[in-house]
Amino acid sequence: MLSRVPPQTLRILALLLVLFAVLLFFSTQVPNYLNGRLFNRISSSVAIMALIACGQTLVILTRNIDLSIGSTVGFVAFATGSLITNNPDIPPLVLATYSVLLGACFGVVNGLLVAYARIPSIIVTLGTMALFRSALVEYSDAKSITTNNLPTWLVEFPNTQLFTIGTFQFRAAFVVAVLVVFAVHIALTRLRPARKIYAVGSNPEAAEMAGINTKLVVFFTFVLAGALAGLAGFMFLARFGTITVVAGLGFELKSVASAVVGGVNIFGGSGSVIGALIGAILVDLIDMSLVRWQLVSEFWREAVLGSLILLSVAADAILMRRLVKWRVAREKKQTKSGVSS
Amino acid sequence: MSEPVLQLNGISKHFGMTKALSNMSISLLAGEVHAIVGENGAGKSTMIKIMTGIHQPTSGAIKVDGATRVIAGPQAARDAGIAAIYQEPMVFPDLDVAENIFIGDKSSGILTRPAAQRKRARALIERIGIKLDPSRIASGLTLAEQQAVEIARALSQDVRVLIMDEPTASLSAHEAEQLRKIAKTLAGQGVAVVYISHRLEEIFEIADCVTVIRDGSHISTKPIAEVTSDGMIAEMVGREVGNYFAKAASTATDEVIFEVRNLTLDGVFEDISFDLHKGEVLCMAGLVGARRTDVALALFGVTPPTSGTVKYKGQTTHFTTPRDAIEAGIAYVSEDRRKLGLAMPMAIKSNVSLATLNDFLSPLGLLDRAEEDKVAHHFSDRLNIRTPDVETPVGMLSGGNQQKVMLAKWLNLNPELLIFDEPTRGIDIGAKAEVHDLIRTFVAEGGAALVISSDLPEVLAMGDRILVMREGHQMGILDHTEATQKAVMMQATGQMQEAV
Repeated sequence: MLSRVPPQTLRILALLLVLFAVLLFFSTQVPNYLNGRLFNRISSSVAIMALIACGQTLVILTRNIDLSIGSTVGFVAFATGSLITNNPDIPPLVLATYSVLLGACFGVVNGLLVAYARIPSIIVTLGTMALFRSALVEYSDAKSITTNNLPTWLVEFPNTQLFTIGTFQFRAAFVVAVLVVFAVHIALTRLRPARKIYAVGSNPEAAEMAGINTKLVVFFTFVLAGALAGLAGFMFLARFGTITVVAGLGFELKSVASAVVGGVNIFGGSGSVIGALIGAILVDLIDMSLVRWQLVSEFWREAVLGSLILLSVAADAILMRRLVKWRVAREKKQTKSGVSS
Repeated sequence: MSEPVLQLNGISKHFGMTKALSNMSISLLAGEVHAIVGENGAGKSTMIKIMTGIHQPTSGAIKVDGATRVIAGPQAARDAGIAAIYQEPMVFPDLDVAENIFIGDKSSGILTRPAAQRKRARALIERIGIKLDPSRIASGLTLAEQQAVEIARALSQDVRVLIMDEPTASLSAHEAEQLRKIAKTLAGQGVAVVYISHRLEEIFEIADCVTVIRDGSHISTKPIAEVTSDGMIAEMVGREVGNYFAKAASTATDEVIFEVRNLTLDGVFEDISFDLHKGEVLCMAGLVGARRTDVALALFGVTPPTSGTVKYKGQTTHFTTPRDAIEAGIAYVSEDRRKLGLAMPMAIKSNVSLATLNDFLSPLGLLDRAEEDKVAHHFSDRLNIRTPDVETPVGMLSGGNQQKVMLAKWLNLNPELLIFDEPTRGIDIGAKAEVHDLIRTFVAEGGAALVISSDLPEVLAMGDRILVMREGHQMGILDHTEATQKAVMMQATGQMQEAV
């Protein structure tokens, strides 16, 4: 039965297993751990990271990386905040669209430089990470956006309870993020053009030979990642209200961590955004649980988190290798018995 | 006569100072199998790259259906109905077989329908005449299967010109025959097939006409009936080649250098036993899937065997890593140049010194680049590597010359036992003879060679003895006096066993 399940699905099942193991572990360590509050806190924070990790996944699938994504989130959050502060009458949907388009513009810059100027993405986005952040500092004039100046609909949006299951509140931001991730997942698996993203990451040379416009594909993933970061910026503004120049700092690394923990191959070609979503949840869960874990001091939190990320990736790599071997052996057996019968 | 589907008119292509093609003209007719032959570096690959839009000609015109057309890129080539299958398959390792086949497909809407796609894929694979599950992930496929996927991909598109570049180089005899059948069938359906092969017997079997090119220039185009094998070879090399198929005298001694007994790797191969003498060439013959490479990798320490004994120079050994084997004086020349053999972006000289870097240290512990240069030049001359200089990245050389660089890298180790895996796959007859001479010289000087080859004439010409494998089993060892093509094929296909 196990051999019928595609590797990607197995990976996600394994991730869920790890998620439960982590929950179980901390429930023995932290008093009053498993409750609705935990879910609500995680879901609120994951709503933002899931979108960013989703965009990062698209970029990583094509053998690239986007380190500027945190700066994009910060800039968009600030710019959206100042727009609505100065024009409080802008309708919600227009404001969200503005965020998405602004994020996409940053993606265009990255995409042009990576795909068409052929500069390695790690260099390009390392540069734009600093540039976008500086642009934010310049643009903000060292001022901050504050919650008081934002319209109430915006501040209330992320915490709007759409529905509740027991003590689990499903808030608007989380539901929107999950819906977006699922939409991207469906697109990636079922849309023909999306298959090209995997093809380009899997074997760029062969993709070129197969008549795929690899440059356009890479460009497109950067634009999409920018757009998703833009939406995340909107969510960030809505959730925190107060936006300073350090908004979104460090998100780029956390998004890469989420994707990699979620089973996205850092060398491109394989992985899913659902994996990245679960990866984001796992990283956030561990991070948040460590705060409440008495045994570990504040100073060690980063180290423990880092080790856990390494551990999960290593375990995943080893298990997957085993699985592939086991399957190959099994297939051989089957074909052998098939021939003789 | 009808209008040619594709025509090159006086095409020249220069790369800097190098003239890859000069004034090349060729006409491809619908329904015809047009063979193109030439030595390594003759310009075949460049010509294909121009036809498929990867390179743009420096001068000259390309005509499609009689109208001059610029083929700006691979997509433009596909739009014109031109597809190519390469010697080294181009698949997407992370996608499954069906997805690989239909990656560029535009015919069936924006949504993918995996079930329908697999069904269509299965139909195409059946046309090729092999068994392959369309839902398998491509990274686990053999070279032959990957190639089948590529062929199916080309079949899935409406090809009008199908370029096959050494398509059978990595296929077994049976698969190669299937492929030739497909080439003929497609030609019968009105496709213009360009067939590039170093196996001359194939060309006589399927080609309608043959074009010989040499040093980037067109030498001749003749109907197959007017061509002889000797004449073709003479035109290709511009000189007479020595008797390539003749068996060289054996230099085998009585001293056993390598004693293998009941070597088994569970589920892969079992009970492989043979002796290898000093001065001897032992060939391993068999069809694709015979697991010959797996035996070689086990001997070389890449995948240690599960049971069996190996004695090397009288000592029982257990190599568990390639390093152990290399230190003991064993070298393995891989069949997959790209993956296991060469660092493509690195210079020839850096590749040659790679396995023996410790020998190139100056007293200060720095790399002695002058020495590196000297050694690289030595091999470049000895192996007749055609290159402007030894600083040239290996990736820019032709396949045959890459193979020679790989040989240089391992010969540089002064090994006592060389394992060659398909040493002449995809290289031309001139270079083949050179490689054979090198192997002969190597064993005559006291080495021993284990040669895996799917090329039967080569096996018969090289092997002092021939070990035949079939699906992980040793079928027998033939002495060169009793070995014939038929005898080897009987064992390789398992017909001997049924007769008993």
